[in-house]
Amino acid sequence: MTNMELWNHCENPYPFVPAEVLDAAESVRASLPSKYCDPEIAARLYDEVFEEYQRCDEVGLNIVTNEHHSGINNLWAASPVITGIVARMTKKVRILSLGTLITVRPDPVRVATEYATIDVISRGRLDIGFVKSGATEMVSGDANPMRIREREWEAIDLIEKTLTSHDGPFSWEGKFFTHPHVNVWPRPYQQPRPEFWAATSDMPTCAELGRRGYVNTLLFGGYDRTRQAFETYKQARAAAALPAPGEDRFSYMAFCYVGDTDEEAFRIGQKIAWFLTVSIKSAPQMSKFMPGQLPPELTPAAWRAGASKRPTNLTVEALIGQGQMFAGNPDTVVKQIKAFRERVGGVGRIIMMTRQGLVTHAEAMKSFDLAANEVLPQLQDLSPIEQRAAAE
Amino acid sequence: MMKHELEILRAGDETADTLLLIHGINPISPKAAFVADLARSHYVVAPSHPGFGASPLPPDFDTMYDMVNLYLDVLDHLPDATTVVGFGFGGWIAAELAVAGHPKLQRLVLVDPVGIKIGGREDRDIVHMFNTNPVELNHRSWHDPAARPAGIYGLGWQAVISDDMTDAEMISLARNWDSLCLFAWRPHMFNPQLKNWLHRISVPTLVLWGESDRIVTPDYGRHYASLIPGAAFETIPRAGHHPELEQPAAFVAAIDRFVS
Repeated sequence: MTNMELWNHCENPYPFVPAEVLDAAESVRASLPSKYCDPEIAARLYDEVFEEYQRCDEVGLNIVTNEHHSGINNLWAASPVITGIVARMTKKVRILSLGTLITVRPDPVRVATEYATIDVISRGRLDIGFVKSGATEMVSGDANPMRIREREWEAIDLIEKTLTSHDGPFSWEGKFFTHPHVNVWPRPYQQPRPEFWAATSDMPTCAELGRRGYVNTLLFGGYDRTRQAFETYKQARAAAALPAPGEDRFSYMAFCYVGDTDEEAFRIGQKIAWFLTVSIKSAPQMSKFMPGQLPPELTPAAWRAGASKRPTNLTVEALIGQGQMFAGNPDTVVKQIKAFRERVGGVGRIIMMTRQGLVTHAEAMKSFDLAANEVLPQLQDLSPIEQRAAAE
Repeated sequence: MMKHELEILRAGDETADTLLLIHGINPISPKAAFVADLARSHYVVAPSHPGFGASPLPPDFDTMYDMVNLYLDVLDHLPDATTVVGFGFGGWIAAELAVAGHPKLQRLVLVDPVGIKIGGREDRDIVHMFNTNPVELNHRSWHDPAARPAGIYGLGWQAVISDDMTDAEMISLARNWDSLCLFAWRPHMFNPQLKNWLHRISVPTLVLWGESDRIVTPDYGRHYASLIPGAAFETIPRAGHHPELEQPAAFVAAIDRFVS
């Protein structure tokens, strides 16, 4: 039997910069001047989202934090800082940092120290997520965008070794990181270490996650890519003669709004599209021409006139159809999530991006209550996917 | 045999004086007019750096230290003494090479080189090649962007991508751009220590500069030249960061004057 989990992910966006400023800017991430960020408004937004997290703790929705930098899409900026606050103000739910940008940060040992501290403060409720980082982050963090996958894996290995070594200093002299004296206090609350997640739809990376047994989460990947990623994960484990993974190894992040009615949810869900229409605008040098973003042989398709990754059809109906949004009354959302689970071959952990774009605090709180009270109970004790397929 | 396999463009009579060209952001194009002009009276040898053109990139080859030692290897394997000519990013490599010194390196020409830090900590000496809009980069790199030679790509090439470009050209440009980034992202296009060692350059040196270069300005070039004992500094009018491409005749004339 599968008991699905619901997680709430909010990026704490700042959708209050005048449209004419955003239209004129070459990028709304990385280079937008901070004079457009009013700290009074930002303080209110932090209060509101922390209040939402408090509610999640009360009703049983797990919490995700992340970080992006220097733009309107995300005020978290330092995931361990935010996660530390959430660790102290919540009591029950799990907390996932997805994550701090380990390809940008110079010292994985420091990252491990921050996470160990949070794990102890939360008494073992921390999960640690890894992300490769987007192109604008290379600029914001002055990180070489080349060879970041190799750098990411070495950082993960060093973080893992740091969290699980308790017999005095060890030395690390790797390709990207050196640290001759690693000895972290406190050690993590969870033994041997907190759960590791990684957000990726890169198939070789999914395979490596499978071999390592980390949770593989996809962000807005839609049906086909998500299914392919999870299949890749499963096949890599099978090829390595490792046990088949449970559905809790698989996670999916989608836009989500749960309303009293489908009409209400669709209306509010449409406000989430701001994320795609406004908040991802970035300059060409910070996107398609940033080194290392694509294998060279794939660049012609991305560079030729007319090639654009910007989505075109952003209605709620289209996003739902593509498997990128769950929206409706509780029963509708349950149906959508169950159908998604079937189509991707099983997924145990749904991350809902709800407080996004122009969705208000009150609207978000309402959706969380409905998700926890009316959606989550219907996602418990689900029959295994394979069994059902066999029965049919 | 060199340890590293390199694609090498050769032009001219092997018995003539050798010019070792060390390229900038892209390998020396065999279509470039200045190559044919130089080859009339010189033997031109122009390798593609590892990761550029058709030269393989070994997995651990990713620092200026690697690049300098590779070119010391290249000098070992040249039959004769040579004039080394470095362009832009390749000018940085050439300056490092000349500081290291090699018996076959007998003359040095630096063409709009990067590689050193001159200004204060809040002054940017070198425009950030990876974090500047391609339109701006194109504008700053050429005296007359509209007159840039067709099919030969200097800085700002992203701004002139068109359907006339073949997939192979795009793939090659992308690979070169990726490789450049490996070596030069941070510190961006300079070695903080190099300035302190330019005094060790003991061969006759010419520092050539496109008068309209706004990637690295002629003032930066004058300062650069002043740190190399006895170096001459000359500018080429109506040229930007790539004087060899924009004003090939004036460029070749300057090389010929210096070498003879």
